[in-house]
Amino acid sequence: MQKKTSFFQKFYVAICLVFFYLPILVTMIFSFNSSKSLTKFTGFSMRWYTELLHNTEVSKAVYVSVTIAILATVISTVLGTITAIGLSKSRKVLKETLLNINNLPILNPDIVTAIGLMLLFSSLGFRKGYFTMLLAHISFCTPYVITSVYPKVRSLDPNLANAAMDLGATPFQALTKVIVPMIKDGIFAGALLAFTMSFDDFVISYFVSGNGVKNISIVVYNMTKRINPTINALSTIVIVVIVLVMVFANVLPKVLEKHASKHAKKIQRVIALFLVCALGFGLIKCGGGATESHVLKVYNAGEYIDQELLTQFEQEYNCTVVYETFESNEMMYTKLSGGESYDVLVPSDYMIERLIKEDYLQHIDWDLIPNKDNLMDEVMNKSYDPGNRYSCPYFWGTVGILYDTTVVDPADLQEGWDLLCDTKYKGNIYMYDSERDSFMIALKALGYSMNTTDENQIQEAYQWLIDQRNTMDPIYAGDDVIDNMISGNKAMAVVYSGDASYIISENPNMDYFTPDQGTNNWYDAMVITRDCNEVELAHEFINFMLEEESALSNTEEVGYTSPVKSVYETMITGDYEGISSYIPDFENPNSEIFRYQEPKIKQKYAELWTKIKAE
Amino acid sequence: MMGGRGQDRENANKMRIRGQDLKTANMPGGKNKKVSASRKHTRASIWMILPLYIFTLVFVACPLLYMVAMSFATPGEVHGVQWIFTLDNYKKILEPVYLNTFLQSFQLAFTSTICITLIGYPFGYFMAKLPAGGKKKAMLLLMLPFWVNSLIRLYGWIIILQKKGLLNFVLKKLGLIEKPLKIMYSYPAIVIGMIYVLLPFMILSVYSSAEKLDWSLVEAARDLGASKAKAFWTVSFKLTLPGLLSGVILTFVPSMGLFFIADILGGNKVVLVGSLIQDQMTRGNNWPFAAALAVIMMILTTLMILLYRKVTGASEVEGLG
Repeated sequence: MQKKTSFFQKFYVAICLVFFYLPILVTMIFSFNSSKSLTKFTGFSMRWYTELLHNTEVSKAVYVSVTIAILATVISTVLGTITAIGLSKSRKVLKETLLNINNLPILNPDIVTAIGLMLLFSSLGFRKGYFTMLLAHISFCTPYVITSVYPKVRSLDPNLANAAMDLGATPFQALTKVIVPMIKDGIFAGALLAFTMSFDDFVISYFVSGNGVKNISIVVYNMTKRINPTINALSTIVIVVIVLVMVFANVLPKVLEKHASKHAKKIQRVIALFLVCALGFGLIKCGGGATESHVLKVYNAGEYIDQELLTQFEQEYNCTVVYETFESNEMMYTKLSGGESYDVLVPSDYMIERLIKEDYLQHIDWDLIPNKDNLMDEVMNKSYDPGNRYSCPYFWGTVGILYDTTVVDPADLQEGWDLLCDTKYKGNIYMYDSERDSFMIALKALGYSMNTTDENQIQEAYQWLIDQRNTMDPIYAGDDVIDNMISGNKAMAVVYSGDASYIISENPNMDYFTPDQGTNNWYDAMVITRDCNEVELAHEFINFMLEEESALSNTEEVGYTSPVKSVYETMITGDYEGISSYIPDFENPNSEIFRYQEPKIKQKYAELWTKIKAE
Repeated sequence: MMGGRGQDRENANKMRIRGQDLKTANMPGGKNKKVSASRKHTRASIWMILPLYIFTLVFVACPLLYMVAMSFATPGEVHGVQWIFTLDNYKKILEPVYLNTFLQSFQLAFTSTICITLIGYPFGYFMAKLPAGGKKKAMLLLMLPFWVNSLIRLYGWIIILQKKGLLNFVLKKLGLIEKPLKIMYSYPAIVIGMIYVLLPFMILSVYSSAEKLDWSLVEAARDLGASKAKAFWTVSFKLTLPGLLSGVILTFVPSMGLFFIADILGGNKVVLVGSLIQDQMTRGNNWPFAAALAVIMMILTTLMILLYRKVTGASEVEGLG
């Protein structure tokens, strides 16, 4: 029977493909958006493409992603194919155990594989970076190759190889001339899957990589703080390149057929040479890096610095800055406690207190930081680090409510945090998906300290949040709240003051207030780790960040409040005039700073928060 | 450097296989050719699988065994692990909050898997009927979206699904709705995200099964008087069932773990086991509990695979691709 595809069947396949491509098409369109918003198209521009060209972080990440994907695909395809062929002739026990273990990375949650590998690399003393990432990618790509190739091998006639050899073929010839051509579809599918999985991986790469080696996913994930449309531009380019490659792959053979087949061989050789070069570069990369004389490793939150400053610092001090970013303080802590080494960190107050307690930090020698006089008094000598023996302020602010002035009645602001329970605004609220901030709100609304250890008060706060969930139907959002509020999607949101400043500067309908019941006053500060290799350079870096010029461009880029006095004053009379969130209200006696939490209390909060969300 | 040593060992293994190949290749033919050939093969096959065997043991089995061991350890005072045996981590899973998380994850995985099966099965089946060139193109078209970062693609969905988004705009223009639909940050949004991310796995799995289908059997059934539907049901469907079921496993299990979809599209209203593990690993800093949760996930997966084997009688899960 001719297996025919009817019109309906083709139509169905086409409809499904539309489903696959619609979101990509949308992001492609938004790569030409003139504003930063991902939800509102404001006009055509090529601005993100120019920015992409100047962004060295992204171009490095592209390099890492592509070479890792190619290397991992080639190695795992060869390894997987050879193994699959070998397996079909192996004893049952061997076969079953290998297949079963091998399938686990496909079926396990990524985070499990990731943490397992991270611990393994740490305990084996591997230097995390390109090489560890490559090993990890091979380990999760190979199963895909085997699952694709093995069924094909099994469906072959087992006597084929013997027949070929009886006819005079060497075993190698039997393999390459007989078996491989028959299973080439499976190999192709496996290689494609392997490449895809490697190229798109985030979780595993994040945990096994280090020393500034980042792939595209890691860069994107860190950008979610304030999603950066250069990534849309990058996706568009990737798609265009792949489509071109596909067209070429379809057209080229036909063209070549017309000409002499010698050329085809030549071109094959050129391609092979190119691949070998890529491999070579990749290997050099993973060995190199250690030759630099001075390398400073800085670990900061994502989208929390003006990248230009790093280049400036490198030039001025003739050194290399290896810059890595984290998505939360806890993520940073996990990596740090997993054995990763850094020189300068930029954590938040409560995390600094914890790092001091657990002896991860060293004293700052303030004599090496002449720019310390630029700092304002308001940010110094706080409870998380009395006397600033370990930390130097970076940005500071509050947590408050951002509201749409066209929707929220100004009189309602009197309610303070209870505004979040006002049924007028039901279904119109973003909460922040963090137990720390949510419990802070509940405890403050009830008039308690946010650092309470009293079981009953915590229980009451828990009830407050449950009631709020049930009556108000809030959304527990992450950093996507920034984009959503710029588009005016909800009436109000719980945000950090720095984010509020940015949102208000993009959408003047928004305003920000901190309730009189008190809120969280927070500080992010630079600290030097205990096993810092470049103590002098680390101090120079901190000093550099406190220079008026660098502090100004930093706060302009990020939008958070600077601790440098002159910069702060320039901003509130200049660019950010009238934006109330840039001036943290630190007069309020009810406000507090987060303190170190005992593990038991922390665990308690985490469990209650899970309950609130999972109820 | 330690990293170099591991690689050396791997290279050494590869060299050894090559050596083996050469040795067997140079063996003079002649007497007892057949016997020696088949024996040669089993020996050669061991060398063929050895590199990956070692690799798998080191980079897959070791981390997982470590994880299993950790699930019986006590969480450290401050962070990390104290190696004191306890069953508390497993007892904790039985608490209503966490059982509820499992239940929710199951429900979501169940709904998603059903939708994925309904959409993906016909696609994979039709794809297998395309001519060879079309198959390759369809496969590439299917994989291509993955080369755009998955987070970016999910942001694309926000643009489509949000209140003032593309979908509502189109529906309104068509006069199908008056008020904008509230899909964003709802259960359906999560399911759409799950379908979007996991559908290719189902399609590829069904496709690999349907592709091997002997179409002359369908023809025979038709010749013997079976209706189109009956021929499909008794022949095609039965023969592609292993692919369908392996697709179910490949979508059901990950959908309990893909937390970032619930994060981005669902407004975090559903807590999945995956996000619980993530939370405990990072924010909660309770690694032993996270390990226990992961072990339970692994056990559930294994059970599903055993069930699959029982139903289909196959010894391995049908491959992708």
